[in-house]
Amino acid sequence: MDFSWSEEQAAFRKEVIRFAKQELQDDLERRDREEEFPREFWQKCAQFGIQGLVAPPEYGGGGADTLTTVCALEALGYGCKDNGFLFSLNAHMWTTEIPLLAFGTEEQKRKYLPKLINGEWIGLHCMTEPMSGSDAYSLRTRAERKGDRYVLNGTKTFITNTIHGDLFIVFANVDPAKGANGVTGFLVEKGTPGLVVGKKLHKMGLRTSPMSEVALVDCEVPAESILGKEGSGQAIFTHSMEWERTCILASHLGMQQRLIETCVKYARERQQFGAPIGKYSAIANKVADMEVRLETGRLLLYKAAWLKSQGRHALREASMAKLYVSETTVQTCLDAIQIHGGYGYMAEYEMERDLRDAISGKIYSGTSEIQKVIIAGFQGL
Amino acid sequence: MPTAKESTEPAIKTQIRQFIQENLAEVKGISSFRDDESLMENGVIDSLGIFRVVSFLEENFGVRVGDEEINPENLSSVDTIEKLVTAKLNK
Repeated sequence: MDFSWSEEQAAFRKEVIRFAKQELQDDLERRDREEEFPREFWQKCAQFGIQGLVAPPEYGGGGADTLTTVCALEALGYGCKDNGFLFSLNAHMWTTEIPLLAFGTEEQKRKYLPKLINGEWIGLHCMTEPMSGSDAYSLRTRAERKGDRYVLNGTKTFITNTIHGDLFIVFANVDPAKGANGVTGFLVEKGTPGLVVGKKLHKMGLRTSPMSEVALVDCEVPAESILGKEGSGQAIFTHSMEWERTCILASHLGMQQRLIETCVKYARERQQFGAPIGKYSAIANKVADMEVRLETGRLLLYKAAWLKSQGRHALREASMAKLYVSETTVQTCLDAIQIHGGYGYMAEYEMERDLRDAISGKIYSGTSEIQKVIIAGFQGL
Repeated sequence: MPTAKESTEPAIKTQIRQFIQENLAEVKGISSFRDDESLMENGVIDSLGIFRVVSFLEENFGVRVGDEEINPENLSSVDTIEKLVTAKLNK
């Protein structure tokens, strides 16, 4: 058992932090208020190699293992304060690139992956519907085979990256009589007739990440647009979620680290009753709790990533990591605000935005309640 | 004399069947199923169940099940699961 990063990983981590602090900083307070997605950040990240981290070199990727990938994403979360942008990046990587890599034909991989990796295209998946959230496979979108084509009809909601999206992985049922076993993934390109990006949805947090509804109105796609096989939608979606739950909250670990450092600095400088507030146990204990939560979260998340680096499945471990890191990030944001008192409540100090962003972590990629269902499910409950 | 392959097959199938029976079927009130029956269509194996089966195969038989192999063709029945494991063990 080795708890240290290799020299290469440590150097890469430093380089990502330098990149994020230097290249991914702007007037975030305004963009958050105006819900503006930073497209130029996307291109910078692609040039740096973020979108291609896990993809093999033959498609333009860096071929990094999962542990190195979460190392980089944690560093991004530490150096970049735009949690909405990082959320969009993660959605792109885990719900588009990863399923293409695992289930796509060679032709599909060569057609789409280079563009998704070099920043030219943005990917997304369309699963959630107005009547199906946690019970994802009860979706109502239908795919009807007509000769050499499929016709898709249905409505999707809470879909990330839509407005700037180029490649949509749409989940639809080809045979409702089969229930979840009829769910199938389709690759649908922007501009396909019948693919309609609906109204923009306004969120509490992650406001720089675009989200909207998507309608499929007699949307015809060639039969070769199918991802995997008919009925493999469950495997594709679960596979995506395993990756996403392993990796998406790595940036929250970075955010926790950043908040702890901010709080420690403030607790040393802020004087009340003749002493730095960090000298009072009420404040010091909060910082200690934040540290324990961060290190515990790292252990869970790194273990899930390590399993995947070994080529093993980590659905249970990914759920544990996702559950724990999302819940503790919210608590750490609350503690950070509390330590800063009135200042912490002000938008200028940026912690209220972190809190708003962090709350979504308890909901996306399966709610905390669903993660507990999965963890208990592995015990046969 | 049975070949090595023939002598191991019943044991593999028995272990697979026992795992599914005890961990996936009984909790759903399903007491019996055939070896060639689709466990996805009869509700024994759902989306989580697929990964519980995969974890069981990897831990119990020491095989690796690739992402692209996780599909109804390989994991729908006791027979297909046994076929998948046997093919991997004989490689």
